[in-house]
Amino acid sequence: MALLTQSEKKKGISTIQGVALAVVVMVLGLVALGSRYNFGVVDYVQFVVDGLRAGAIYALVALGFVAVYRVTGVINFAQGVFIMLGPMMTISFYEQNWFPSLRLNLFVGALLAIAITAVVGIAIERFTLYPARRALPLTKIIITIGAYLALQGGALLIWGPQGHVMPAFSTLTLADQSFRFGGLLLKAQSLWIWSTVLITLALLGLFFERTRLGKAMRACAVNRQAAQLMGIRVDTMATIAFALAAILGAVGGIVLGPVTRPTYDMGLDLGLKGFVAAIIGGMVNFPMAVLGGLLLGVLENMWAGVTQAGFKDLFAFVVLIVMLLLRPRVLSGPEAEGEH
Amino acid sequence: MNVRNVLLLLAACVLIVVMVAACAPEPTPTPKPPAPTAVPTKAPEPTKAPEATKPPAPTTAPPTAAPKVGATWKIGFISAATGAAASLGVPERDVAQIVAAELKASGITGPDGVKHDVQIIIHDDQSSADTVVTLARRLIEQDQVQVLIATTQSGTSQAIVSVVTEAKVPNISMASARSIIEDPATKKMREWIFKPVPENTHSADKQAEYLKAVKVTKVCHLYENSSYGQDTFAAASASFPKSGITIVYSDAYDPKATEFPQLAKAKASGCEAIVIGAIPPASPVMNVAARDALPTIRIIHGHGSCSPDLVKSAGKAAEGTVMPCGKILVADTLADADPAKALNAKLIKAYTDATKQSISTFAGHAYDSLQLAIAALKLLPDGGTLADQRKAVRDALETKMVKFPTTHGLYTLSPTDHLGFDAAEFAFVVVKDGKFVVLPKDQWK
Repeated sequence: MALLTQSEKKKGISTIQGVALAVVVMVLGLVALGSRYNFGVVDYVQFVVDGLRAGAIYALVALGFVAVYRVTGVINFAQGVFIMLGPMMTISFYEQNWFPSLRLNLFVGALLAIAITAVVGIAIERFTLYPARRALPLTKIIITIGAYLALQGGALLIWGPQGHVMPAFSTLTLADQSFRFGGLLLKAQSLWIWSTVLITLALLGLFFERTRLGKAMRACAVNRQAAQLMGIRVDTMATIAFALAAILGAVGGIVLGPVTRPTYDMGLDLGLKGFVAAIIGGMVNFPMAVLGGLLLGVLENMWAGVTQAGFKDLFAFVVLIVMLLLRPRVLSGPEAEGEH
Repeated sequence: MNVRNVLLLLAACVLIVVMVAACAPEPTPTPKPPAPTAVPTKAPEPTKAPEATKPPAPTTAPPTAAPKVGATWKIGFISAATGAAASLGVPERDVAQIVAAELKASGITGPDGVKHDVQIIIHDDQSSADTVVTLARRLIEQDQVQVLIATTQSGTSQAIVSVVTEAKVPNISMASARSIIEDPATKKMREWIFKPVPENTHSADKQAEYLKAVKVTKVCHLYENSSYGQDTFAAASASFPKSGITIVYSDAYDPKATEFPQLAKAKASGCEAIVIGAIPPASPVMNVAARDALPTIRIIHGHGSCSPDLVKSAGKAAEGTVMPCGKILVADTLADADPAKALNAKLIKAYTDATKQSISTFAGHAYDSLQLAIAALKLLPDGGTLADQRKAVRDALETKMVKFPTTHGLYTLSPTDHLGFDAAEFAFVVVKDGKFVVLPKDQWK
């Protein structure tokens, strides 16, 4: 993809080799662990299919991280809020029953939720990060964590602690349509998730390749100073990056909504997993972030399958720690990373 | 600034985030009746009955034709009408108001023929352990109640165990944990505390009875990752083997999870039924996932899932699932001979008339607690000191409540059992066309 500069390409290949090796080792280990159970091939395929579903969401979240990081150099931990706001607001609007058609209710609710989430993203950038634009990256990270906690607290006040029900897109009830191939189970909502992610990726590609705005953002990402000298408003680009991240998060949260029970605190887990996916992908590379998300989803689900389900989150966070140990400078912004 | 320092700070920061992620408090799922915080549109009576106006009749007064009027008996009632457990505490408070209104009109007559007014003093503990302790002390010391009914949640009920034990006041809790009435260390009943609320052990016994009857010997137990879920699993592990049923696979699940690899293991384990240890909203989530992954397997819920929320959330996937169920929730489909049928019909009518809400099992717990307290007060003769009266009420609760009719069936309390519930008193129901229908034993197959 044209997003990769020459030097990134070189590094990307070595990263790919490293990740590929790690993945092969992990898969072998997981299958060895799984031999304790009476699993058939179908069960493993099922783990992969289910994992790809969660992975697709991680990928969307990771894209949000990468978009903000490349343009502003900030790791935006408030990303989790966008994932939560999407489905929560969609449910609230859906339950208003503005239109006679349930489907229209859901569609309009989702669009409104995405729009409002984008506004929230812009507000976070304008009111918390912009005033601190000259601060250290660490300060900015802390600011985003603060913004996350404040907004999550607000969500608790609005929606309460309980899980909410979001209807599956196909049936408009909690019970989704399912397709069976042999012993394999595929839910209609998975198809919605994958197609949404694919469409979003295509639109994102078009945005960066074909529009002036997208090209300007890429310019900011490659070299902020040069972009500024070329007359690009770097601050505006930062705001747009946050809006983009908010939209990506909200879309991911909304399509995921029906397969979980959206709660006010769902953003924390998903946000951190998206961050892990972004780090696996090197933090600056969109296609690698998507790959990182899918890999994380599949491996994590297999791991949960062959061990106790309670250990599921352990996997992602062990990967996070390992990746941070390998590349500790990632948290100090892209410039610092380029220095070594 | 030293790069190393920055890195250390960053590492600490990430660690904190990870730890927050790991320890994020699980919101306690509460079975949620419709419009939990709604205040009844028509309160049946002012919250407090008027203060005692009649002085105690002097014991030396000559007997007359009219019944003697004795001291006013006082019942202290605390529920969580606001706060986290409001969805449980509000129906409880509403029932207390209904019963208070009834008693205000009739009063009660003691064994010696002396008539007593009964005052129910109703308080809200805001779902807080601190508040409930303060309120309980005030009711015991200032209001001088004969018996206390407190409170909605297990944790807050636990908080006043020492208060009522030291003050020697009988207390009836409306929460479910065994440790409220039983000291977990000594396995002995706590002298002053009672509760009419069935536990997961009873649910497990009833499930085992069903599983045995339908000749299932291998089950999978999937429970939500909360203390409630773990309690259902502990109860099943203790009860099932006694009926020759093996739990071949068990695991906790996160109701917020997006996929359930547990079900692949359930499938691989070859179990013939899945027991779900959870309450809505967690139980319909697993119900749907299990029905999808294993289309023909038997699915069995616990009594906590016997709520319209299950059907509302799980839809078609709930069809054919079976579970033990408190009789109050299936009152209209009980056999006519069942004494719980008429009792529940009366309560449900009074409750829906007063609150315009549908009945919940928590309303039943409050009603049962109040009926136990009233029955004990009816056995209390006039006169004596407050300490004697409290002791007499306690003794009556412990020894005189035999086959006592409640919303959940017949209770028999004893010095070794301050609950008195038998698993046989559970109705066993099946979900049919979106409704809970009693499944008589001869139809278990």
